[in-house]
Parts: sequence; structure tokens; C-alpha cells
Amino acid sequence: MGRARDLLSVPASSSTWRRFAYLVVGAALVPPFGTLAGFVAPALEPGIGTAAAWTVAIFVCGVALPVAIGMLAPVRALEIAAARLLLNVEVGEAGVVDGGASWSTRRRSATWFVAHLVVGGVIGTLTVVLPPAVVAACYAPFTSGDVQLGQLDPTVPGGPGSAWIVPLALLAPVALVYLAAASGAGLALAAPRLLGPTPAERMAALERHAMRLAERNRLARELHDSVGHALAIVTVQAGAAGRVLDSDPAFARQALTDIETSARNGLRDLDHVLGLLRDDTAVRAPTPTLADLQRLVASTRSAGVDVTAALTGSIDDVPQAVSREAYRIVQESLTNAARHAGQVPVSLSLTVGAKHLELELSNPLDASRPRRSGGGRGLNGIQERVTSLRGQVTAGPDAEQWRIAVRLPLHPAP
Amino acid sequence: MTLGVVLVDDEPLIRSGLRAIINAEPDLEVLGEAEDGAGVTAMVRRLRPDVVLMDVRMPVVDGIEATRRLLANVDDPPRVLVLTTFENDDYVFDALRAGASGFLLKRARPDEVVRAIRLLAAGDSLLFPSAIRELAARHAPAASSGSGLDGAGLTDREAQVLRLVAQGLSNAEIAAQLVVSAETVKTHVAHVLTKLGARDRTQAVIRAYQSGFIAPEGP
Repeated sequence: MGRARDLLSVPASSSTWRRFAYLVVGAALVPPFGTLAGFVAPALEPGIGTAAAWTVAIFVCGVALPVAIGMLAPVRALEIAAARLLLNVEVGEAGVVDGGASWSTRRRSATWFVAHLVVGGVIGTLTVVLPPAVVAACYAPFTSGDVQLGQLDPTVPGGPGSAWIVPLALLAPVALVYLAAASGAGLALAAPRLLGPTPAERMAALERHAMRLAERNRLARELHDSVGHALAIVTVQAGAAGRVLDSDPAFARQALTDIETSARNGLRDLDHVLGLLRDDTAVRAPTPTLADLQRLVASTRSAGVDVTAALTGSIDDVPQAVSREAYRIVQESLTNAARHAGQVPVSLSLTVGAKHLELELSNPLDASRPRRSGGGRGLNGIQERVTSLRGQVTAGPDAEQWRIAVRLPLHPAP
Repeated sequence: MTLGVVLVDDEPLIRSGLRAIINAEPDLEVLGEAEDGAGVTAMVRRLRPDVVLMDVRMPVVDGIEATRRLLANVDDPPRVLVLTTFENDDYVFDALRAGASGFLLKRARPDEVVRAIRLLAAGDSLLFPSAIRELAARHAPAASSGSGLDGAGLTDREAQVLRLVAQGLSNAEIAAQLVVSAETVKTHVAHVLTKLGARDRTQAVIRAYQSGFIAPEGP
């Protein structure tokens, strides 16, 4: 019942007519190729004979050329846009399709273009040929002598004997509409496979999407934990200071100091998060984790620094966020050691416990070099990372060694 | 009579600020502080506060678990006012489900803080700022969204009472509005809780929002 109503509504549906238009557009693309074949064939004829000339011309202009054109990226983009608009199909993420110049993509794209031309050509031809034929057929019973059906070859004898052809002729345009609707539906069905991304491209897009989301969540969490925290303190302390300004000036004075510190920390954290936001390579390139530590140690050694590394526990149990930051901390510590102490042996130890990751890096102090205060840019960076993970860091001279010890909670407090 | 308050927050500066705000009021007093949820139950038994200001995210035992333990293990427990930095925090909703009576943003003005404490200490009102509706709607199970509470079989009067409870009115205020006795309202509320299978008023209100009985954008 519902299906019958669907069928009846085909000629009234706007989707039918949009699909019809899409097919007619395909038909309109056919004549240039025919015209070209019409130029090529006579040119070849003297050399290879009529039959061969036309075979070559039809193959080159009717097959090879459309296939080649169908492979072009702009044609693909046009076809996707037209399919979206007129066939009313969603073919998949456009961003992926744009970059998809793989041969598989080109092949599917060419297949689509040729199918569009062929199916469109058939429907377009019928659309042009049918109306005069219908008029002629309806006219036949009322005349004498043979009547030609428009440009079509068969003729119908005139006179009342040909009345049978009238209902047939009137049904033909309706049939054409259904044929166009069916062809359009067929193309719409094939569109996602021919114009959409390949499974591999779709996977890649999904992965990129997941990475973007993870990165966004990480930034949101960082903002929440750092800037949100600082602003909450500022708000509460300022509110309190205002309340007790007269009754407890000492508290108010202390509150101002705390507000200043919290606001400064908040700004610093904001700087850090904004830096991450601006640094879009952080989103694209996979960030190194402790799993890449071996490579880092090796490259540091090859730079001339004698590194002894010891690992206790399994780094597989370290959450990604901690692992990433820990890698950066080791990297910055090694850089600092090389910069400030020169070519000295560095010993690195990494211990993964049940609840904490402990990281210690030490190198002998170089007496000949002036001792630097601990405020170097590298140490600030480490401090920031440790703070963002709610860990602890101690750094400074210890006996004849420069020592930096970092303790990171494996699971941040909820 | 002064109202006793216990502060639970892992940030000392938040505690000291809240303490100054609360102690500046003649009728409020901070009885104790805790930096995580672990010792809250014992502290509450000892100090018998009227209201506990509870941070949600804390190390060791978070505010949700601490609220649950507190309400389960203390006779005649204090009201729990959940504190949070952000109103769209998913943990807030869990804390309310655990039985907290209301929530307050850390960016609330000092006036709002003390008013919230007094409101909760005074009786059976709930403190649900508008944001909680959105949270409840977001946590609504898809199946029950918009279906209302038809299955619960609330009488018209009970439905009316539930709406007023959700607006944060106390039994006495509801009684005044409906022109009935407070005892009658108490009975209605008890029936509503039974029919919804809710442990307390907070749960009943959450159910009302989640089921679409009260529209998120409605009153």
C-alpha cells in the first residue's frame, strides 16, 4: 500500500526532477566528444580506412578521453557537488575526498563520470526524441498515409486503424519519467562507493577526528585544572578579602598576595595552553611518549653526551598524558644538562611505581663553569609540565652533582 | 544559634577564603576543614555541622564518594552543598545523585555563599541553579526522554508538589502555597519519593528532570 503510493508519487516528487536534471546534464556533456570524433575520424580515414578510422576515433574520443577527464580532481569535485545537490546523496567527508588522488580514487571517479555520460546520454536522447514522436502518434489516426514518429524510423499507417497507438504514445513520457527516476536512484546508490572516500581514507579521517577530539579534551582538561583552578582561588579570596577588609586587615593583605600568585600562575598556564593551541603540529604529529625514550637516549649519546639510563617497572602502565609529559621532561633535562654542564656523564633513572612515576637525572657539576641559578627557561618548562600533572619537582646542586628529581602521579585526582 | 559548617576542598586557599567569608557572618561558623573526602564522615560525627561544603574533584576520596559515605553512615546527616568551578561539570550531577542537596559555583558572590548555607540549613529546600536542568537533560537515558513520569502514577496533587520541590521550595513554603498543612505536604512528598523509587528529594527532582516531567527550559 505504502509502496504503491510511493510509486504513484514518483512523477510529483521534486527529487525525481532533480535527478532528471542531473541525467540531462550528463547528456549535455556527450556531444563535444561526438563532435571531436567527427573531426578525428575523417583526418585518419585516408591513412587507415573508414572502419579503422572510426574505431580509433570512437575509442579515443568516446572512451579514453572521458575516462581521462573523469580522473581529474576538479571534475571529481564538480561531480560530487552535483551529486550532492541533484541526486541528493551524501558521499562522505569532502575534506578527505579533496586530497584523495590515489589511483583507486581516480579509477572510481572515472567510472562515475563515464556512467553519468552513458546513463545521462540515454535518458537525454529519449527526452529529445520522445515528444515529437508522441505528437505524431496522436495525430496518426486522424490522417491518411504513413506517419513518421518524429525523428524515429518506424512509420505508422494513418487512419482509425492506428488508434491503438495513442494510449501507448501517451504512456511513453510517463514511462520515461519512471526510467529517469530509476536511473537516478541507481546512480544515487552507487555514488557513495564511486565518489566517497575509500575505507582506508575513511579510517584515516576517523583517526584524525579522534586525535583532534583527544587533543581538544586534553586542552579542556588543562584549562579546567590550571586556569579554572587559579580563577576560582582568585574569586574566593577576593570575595573574602572584601568581606573582612576592616575586621581582619591581615587576612586581606595575605589574600592579596595569594590572589597575585594565583593569577600569575593562571596566566602562565593559559600561556602554556594557548601555546599548545597555536602549535598545530602538536595535533598532527604523534607526540612522543616514554616508548620513544630509547631513541631519545640514543640520539643524545650520538650528540656526544654520555647517558646512562636505568628503567625500573613497566612503561606500558603509564597513562598516555603522563608518558608524553615525562618524555618532554627527560628531553628538556637532557638538553639542560648538555647546555649547562657540557659534555659530562648524565645518569637517568626512571621508576614506574604503583601510583607514581619517578624520574631522576643527575650530572656532575662542572667547577670551571659559572653556576647558573635555577631559573633557566628549560627548568621553567619542566616546572610547568610537572605542575599541570600535579606532580613535584626538586632541582638543584646536591653534593657534587646537579640533580633534578620529578615525581608524577600516574592517575590524576578526579 | 549559629549554624555549623564543615569545609572540604583540597585547595587551602579556597578553604581559607570560604572560611573568612563564612566566619564574617555572626550566625555562621566554620567548625572544621578537610582536604579530601576520606575523613569527612568521622569529622561530621564529631563536629555535628549543619552544612558541609564539598568540593567535587579531590584526591584520595572525591566529593561524590564522600557525600555517599556521609549520607549513608551518619544519622541525621548534615545537608551537603556541592562546590564546583564549572557548572557543566559532569561530576556535579553524580554528586547530586549521591544525595547532595544543592550545588554552588566557586564564582558565587560571598552573599550567595552565605545565603545558600542558610537556605540549606534552614530545612528541606534544594538549591538547583538552572544549569542543573541542562545537566539532568544531558544525563537523561534516551528511552525515557520526554516520556514524563506517567508510569509512576502520581496524583495531580503529588505532581504539583514535585514541581514545587524542584523549584527549591521547602515543605513549609509548599504548604503555604497550596494552602494545606505542612504535615499534608510531608505525606505527599513521602508518596512521591516512594512512587519514584527515590531516596530523597534530590533524587526525585533529578528523576523529574531526566524523565522530561519538568522541561529543561521550563520553570
